[in-house]
Amino acid sequence: MYSFAPLIVLFPLLGFLINGFFGRKIKNETLVGSIGTLAVASSFVVALLIFVEMVGSPVEERKHIVTLFQWIAAGSFSVNVAFQVDQLSILMTLIVTGVGSLIHLYSIGYMHGDAGFWRFFTYLNLFIFAMLNLVLADNYLLMFLGWEGVGLCSYLLIGFWYDRNFEKGTTGDAAKKAFIVNRIGDFGFLLAMFLIFNTFGSLTYESVFAQAAGFSPGVSVMFWITLLMFVGATGKSAQIPLYVWLPDAMAGPTPVSALIHAATMVTAGIYMAARSSILFSLAPATMEIVAVVGLLTAFFAGTIGLVQNDIKKVLAYSTVSQLGYMFLAVGVGAFTAGLFHVMTHAFFKALLFLGSGAVIHAMHDEQDIQKMGGLQKYMPWTFRTFVIGSFAISGFPLLSGFFSKDEILWKSFADGAPWMWVIAALAAGVTAFYMFRLVSLTFLGKERFDHHHVHPHEAPKTMLIPLLILALFSIIGGYVGIPHVLGGHNYFEEFLEPVFAGANAKMMLPMHDSAALELGLMAVSVAVGLLGMFAGWKIFTEKPEIAENTAKKFSGLHKLLWNKYFVDEAYDAVIVNPIKQTSDKFLWKIFDVKIIDNTLNFSAKFVEATSNILRRIQTGVVQSYAVIFVAGILFILGYLIVW
Amino acid sequence: MNMYEIIFYFFAFITVASASVVVFSRNIIYAAFSLLFTFFGVAGIYVLLNADFLAITQLLIYVGGILVLLLFGVMLTTNTVNIDIKSGSMNVLAAASVVAALAGLLGGVFWTSDWFVSKQMGELPAQTTSKEIGTALITTHVLPFEIASVILLVAIVGAAMMARREGIKSQIPSSK
Amino acid sequence: MEFFSPTDLLGSSPILALGLFSLIALLVNAFLKNSAGMVFYVSAVGIFVAIGCSIYTFPMNATAFSDMLLVGGYASFFSVLFLVIALFSMFIAKPYLEREQYHYGEYYVLILLATIGMVMLASSADLITAFLGIEMMSVSFYVLAGYFRGKLSSNESALKYFLLGAFATGFLLYGIALIYGTTGTTNLLRIVTMYPQPFNDPLHIIGWGLILIGFGFKVAAVPFHMWVPDVYEGAPTPVTAFMSTGGKAAAFSVFLMTFSVPMSMRDERLMTVLAVLAAASMLLGNWFGLSQTNLKRMLAYSSIAHAGYMIIGIASATPMGQQGIAFYLVSYALTNLGAFGIIAMMEKENGGNLNYEDYAGLGKRKPALAALLAMFMFSLTGIPPFAGFIGKYYLFASAVQSHMTWLAIFGVITSLFSTYYYLRIIVYMYFKEATNHEEIKLPGLTFATVILCGAGIVLFGIVPSLIFDLMKSIF
Repeated sequence: MYSFAPLIVLFPLLGFLINGFFGRKIKNETLVGSIGTLAVASSFVVALLIFVEMVGSPVEERKHIVTLFQWIAAGSFSVNVAFQVDQLSILMTLIVTGVGSLIHLYSIGYMHGDAGFWRFFTYLNLFIFAMLNLVLADNYLLMFLGWEGVGLCSYLLIGFWYDRNFEKGTTGDAAKKAFIVNRIGDFGFLLAMFLIFNTFGSLTYESVFAQAAGFSPGVSVMFWITLLMFVGATGKSAQIPLYVWLPDAMAGPTPVSALIHAATMVTAGIYMAARSSILFSLAPATMEIVAVVGLLTAFFAGTIGLVQNDIKKVLAYSTVSQLGYMFLAVGVGAFTAGLFHVMTHAFFKALLFLGSGAVIHAMHDEQDIQKMGGLQKYMPWTFRTFVIGSFAISGFPLLSGFFSKDEILWKSFADGAPWMWVIAALAAGVTAFYMFRLVSLTFLGKERFDHHHVHPHEAPKTMLIPLLILALFSIIGGYVGIPHVLGGHNYFEEFLEPVFAGANAKMMLPMHDSAALELGLMAVSVAVGLLGMFAGWKIFTEKPEIAENTAKKFSGLHKLLWNKYFVDEAYDAVIVNPIKQTSDKFLWKIFDVKIIDNTLNFSAKFVEATSNILRRIQTGVVQSYAVIFVAGILFILGYLIVW
Repeated sequence: MNMYEIIFYFFAFITVASASVVVFSRNIIYAAFSLLFTFFGVAGIYVLLNADFLAITQLLIYVGGILVLLLFGVMLTTNTVNIDIKSGSMNVLAAASVVAALAGLLGGVFWTSDWFVSKQMGELPAQTTSKEIGTALITTHVLPFEIASVILLVAIVGAAMMARREGIKSQIPSSK
Repeated sequence: MEFFSPTDLLGSSPILALGLFSLIALLVNAFLKNSAGMVFYVSAVGIFVAIGCSIYTFPMNATAFSDMLLVGGYASFFSVLFLVIALFSMFIAKPYLEREQYHYGEYYVLILLATIGMVMLASSADLITAFLGIEMMSVSFYVLAGYFRGKLSSNESALKYFLLGAFATGFLLYGIALIYGTTGTTNLLRIVTMYPQPFNDPLHIIGWGLILIGFGFKVAAVPFHMWVPDVYEGAPTPVTAFMSTGGKAAAFSVFLMTFSVPMSMRDERLMTVLAVLAAASMLLGNWFGLSQTNLKRMLAYSSIAHAGYMIIGIASATPMGQQGIAFYLVSYALTNLGAFGIIAMMEKENGGNLNYEDYAGLGKRKPALAALLAMFMFSLTGIPPFAGFIGKYYLFASAVQSHMTWLAIFGVITSLFSTYYYLRIIVYMYFKEATNHEEIKLPGLTFATVILCGAGIVLFGIVPSLIFDLMKSIF
């Protein structure tokens, strides 16, 4: 089956080409949607078959490299278009195509009637194609191609409704913001790639990692490589300081938020770090930075989520916060735990976003949760699935989020530091609180919307089916990785462990056998979570005045959170405006207009003028052509003999 | 100066002198007839070089064929007989200088070169070259020989196409 | 003595097939009335048969006819390229000639005959066959350039090409004679063994210099390029398409093969001369290209510049450069065929609609056509992911490999010049309002060919190994 791996990438490309070239002409929404969905679903089936074969084969034979063709070969530099199918990449592939096909299906209902229906599916398939290149690549260059590709698709899809307004500007502004911030990160990745090639003379994982195994931890070049990679990751995976684009990315259609900005693309940074685990393990300093940045992101993004009123904004900050958890895991060396959370998060966050999409759909594009309430009555199934998602993300015992988050918390304590655990647990409580605030304000309590204009209704089947499937996985998705202390067996970790063997050998993490401590910490974090959930539910369904009073009492803090710590404003003041000013006043008006333009115009005029003069040589008279011909002969023969 | 050299210079003189007439004559008939002597002179040099086959071919094809064709062409296009074919002052200086330089260059090379052929000058081949050439043309060089005939076919097709009458939408003003 | 071995027949099978079908086509043309369409099909079948023969002989690595012809590998690779070019240019020509009411069977016969010459060139292992191939191809081109007998520009084009071509042939022949005079053989495989020492004999090196001049004319390198703009402009557009792609590719195939002999000595003087020719071609081609207003003329200058890029590959005398040329020829042929195909479709009677202005607003009038033309221009400029980029990359890299970094830098800078005039057409198509609203007819055959060319440059741009893998067994 392994040799069929290129098909996984091919199907979405075909879908993209078909819809891209003929979508406008097909005009039949069902057909366009089916082509898009089937393309991704077929990839999923192929990936599943490969996965089944992989599980059935011995551990040593699970990694295969499928070379499609040689891409660039020049001197010592050679890159193939080749796919590395191993435990890590097949896991990511399954997530991308599995969640992806559900979201495609959902989009058929959600995008119904949109003028750009075919365009939407075209972009979506292109995204899946790029994302699969990213995760399946066997070298950094192809990965980078996918990395840029998903960035492009993200840009296109955030600005999909380019004629709509979004906050202070247009969706186009949000798209640009995402693109530019991502470019900053990409630059880091690019530099990292140069350094890798410079150090190892290759960009292929196999050769780079094999050589890296010969290094000992703490080499400074490893620090720079991994740090630059992490800069790339902070861009794509929305970490401090480059997370600012993700909340704005909600300007795109909701399925896009679910697929790209929650379930798949934003986890690319985690994937890159996990893929390069051996490089990270050689740079303990970077690991510490990663852990701290992840932790801070998890906490601060969570606190911002506490006070937001836009249903998708809350979910966006929650995504940033959950990604922070994943980086925390990576930072303390618990790569499997991070990836476990990637998987469960994909289920429940996609579910939550799609649920919010159903709500927005039902409320006629209303996104302010203060204007909702009591929707439980109108859309019971959406409500049920949404609540399941909320329980899962809050770490309610025995749901998927519980297992993955708990593993991260435990590892942050065991392999990191106790204070990390404290902050992470607090952040978990915050998560629980704002999620149930969201559930309460949206589905419970009084109906605060205008009945004359809004007639909420349950979502159509194509939208409900994905919700139900995702809800199911949000419940059971965690059972592949039950921690040992609970008497389970962590299949997930066992499956992925070989990929990180090299990194683990370098890090030499201490062994912990204190089951009592682990159980105790688990109990505390669960308690914190339950407290947050209870408070969120109680306050916002029954005593909203408590919230208002608290907000008034701590108006300074509230204002700070409401304005997202003024980060956007700070960036504007410190970076964006100075750049704008210098580019406007100096770079444009003086440097560009006066210096560059004049030089350029002059050289262009010079070249054109001389070209016009030289043209006269071309008189059209054959005899003079012959004279020039003979002059050429003279030069050649003269040079050959005389010199 | 032995006999051989005298004959050589004789033929060389004929060739160069008549070639000059071809180039400088303003009358196309003179030019055409001078060409006869040029070809003849070259044939003579071939004979001197023991290239008997080439010499015969030179006479048969150039003098017997091409030149006659040329003269026919000149005669048949009667209205051009008395027209100057040389276009006066076109690039004379530039052309003369590059040609002079080229001639000097090639002359210099010939003067200083170690000729491959000259080493074998003493031993003249016993038999004529025709037989060897004939054998070569149907054995080792059969392919070029055959291909040359295809080139002639191309020329014929091309000429026929150029000369066909039907369906011309002419921009060219007819001469009459 | 054995006369024809199976290798002889197999090795010459593409030539034999083309010859046979050109005779059939000629007879059909002579004995059936209004048979131009029929001749077209016969010729197309002939080309397909020849492609089959070439592909069949590809794995062979031999010589035929007493080392006169190369069989397989190099010869097959280029033969297939020429045959495809011939086929495509026929596809472009048919609707064009029908529209111009000049649709005669001789056209296709001449294309077939020219193609025989090209195949001979790629297969030649001997200077004699190389010379005959060049003559066969050139004579056909002279006639084809003047195919529009009623048009002065076409006549002028043919005459200029013929006069200068004959002039250049003289030098080529002179060079061959000098090589024969100093080594006693014209066989490329034997020249090296006959003349193994460095070139201290001025006659020998002048021989190579003169051959270089002959080839330089055929590939349109500066300063032997003067004919190119006039001939390309005056010849019928499909003929220009054929000459600028097939003619150039064939000339380069023999140039490359022949010069692999002296270049194997890595003679400094020859390398320098070639490098200077390359630099001059790139510079002047692109420079003159800037001030053109006529698309055919612009592409003529562009063709000079591209000859310069490819000569880099010969000058560098490395396998990378040789592979770069072969790849470049494929991409250049597809790109130019596509571009000329579009020009042929856009052209109006009597050479109208050939200027930049006539393409204004094409992006709105014919989006697909404009997109394709934009792709071709990008490929000519050398922008990824199109094939033109890969080819240029290999050629420039080969210059660096051969310690001629200045040449690579020079190439990059002159490429920048070219960006101006290539992208100008895109500016006209997309950023200017249409002034001309006449209906543009897109004949299916030509349009399909153009799309094939476009698909080709994208495919080879993304998967260049399709070609490079083939070349591993050639060079």
